Amino acid sequence: MKIASPLRSYTAGESRVTAKGATLNEILANLDQRYPGIRFRMVDEQDRIRPHMRLFVNTSEARGLSDSVRAGDTVHVICALSGG
Amino acid sequence: MSLSSAELARYHRHVVLPEIGVAGQEKLQAARVLVVGAGGLGSPAALYLAASGVGTLGILDGDRVDLSNLHRQVLFDTAAIGSLKVDAARERLVSLNPEIAVVTHAVELRAANVRALLCEYDVVVDGTDRPSTRYLVNDACVILGKPLVAAAIHRFEGQAMTYVPGRGPCYRCLFPEAPDGLVANCALAGVLGVLPGVLGAIQATEAIKLILGVGEPLIGRLLTYDALELRFHEFPFERRHDCAVCGDRPTILEPTDLDGECASATPESIGRLSAPTLRGLLDRSSGNSELMLVDVREPREFNAGHLNGAINVPIADLARRLKEIPPGTNPVFICRSGGRSLAACKVAVREGITEPSHLEGGLLAWASEVDPTLVVAAVD
Repeated sequence: MKIASPLRSYTAGESRVTAKGATLNEILANLDQRYPGIRFRMVDEQDRIRPHMRLFVNTSEARGLSDSVRAGDTVHVICALSGG
Repeated sequence: MSLSSAELARYHRHVVLPEIGVAGQEKLQAARVLVVGAGGLGSPAALYLAASGVGTLGILDGDRVDLSNLHRQVLFDTAAIGSLKVDAARERLVSLNPEIAVVTHAVELRAANVRALLCEYDVVVDGTDRPSTRYLVNDACVILGKPLVAAAIHRFEGQAMTYVPGRGPCYRCLFPEAPDGLVANCALAGVLGVLPGVLGAIQATEAIKLILGVGEPLIGRLLTYDALELRFHEFPFERRHDCAVCGDRPTILEPTDLDGECASATPESIGRLSAPTLRGLLDRSSGNSELMLVDVREPREFNAGHLNGAINVPIADLARRLKEIPPGTNPVFICRSGGRSLAACKVAVREGITEPSHLEGGLLAWASEVDPTLVVAAVD
């Protein structure tokens, strides 16, 4: 997974991490086990991707957390940046 | 308009490009571009647009030059510290290219003035550092039918995209709503000085391409740049039919101040405590369990220094850990500078807590006004 810059405080500064799962939901759950709290920054209480976040599997945008993920895919976590 | 012999000499390396030629250079000469924000992004964008011969260049910024700007805002030199940015920018840009007109707007862009300002220009380059302005500019460009080249930066990472009316999605299609106090700005998070140089130059490139009508603009593609990895990526995205401003049934029909919306959406029951006021409350409520200090910063920040008696619940965990706040107690949310704590109040209200408060100005205000010995950690 490629982690957006504003979320790297959860991953000890790492921009690339690995996670296991067959769907985005499983991937994010796995990620959250290792980096507690990071999933909630991407997904709200109703399991919707937050409106200032976008998830891409390789270069295709994820439509929902049930989207499947294959071995070797890269999930890009994109966050609206605000600096200028 | 036609080019003088001096201008033909100045722009010779443009004119010899078949994609530009004399006709293209004359298009640039006739063009009017507004740069919103004379900061890290606006600096290189404005310098390249001026050097390239964009005939009328608007610079909009209400701030003054600060010493901490200079590591990235290459429009300004040390002697400009304290000057209005737009004045220093005009001096530098006209010195670079006296053939162009530089129009200065020393104002903050608001819903009340955005129409009048943007309607004078053909292309808008957005280099603002405020989410509220970013959405205002996007919405106004959609409503007024103006092309927009937007970019943003954070630490070592940048993003850019181009909106052209009728040809693709807008910024709201990409990110429908602004982050709610959860994303730190450059001042808090830091930024690599050269990073906006890359993104601002891309913005100038896009604006010039739009004026010339050449090439493939960054429409429907989010370009991301990671300076540490030195990698660009691009992510395709589509117009959202339910986009609030460019969708099939838009709900935003007039440019609106986002911070105004937030302010009006902020329940009046949210208490805003200054540092001395909170100190007074704590002194009076010694041993009184009704007041509960909830520090919503990250654990590393909390461990570096916090107020006595505060518990640590990072903002991202707040919604699911609100049950740790006993019924009947009034939480006072605390963070470094007051942004995350206000966001925490909104989360608390949404979850049914009736009277949350927060420390305005955060622990930085506390250290400044109450206890200078408090260690306030920097944000990662």
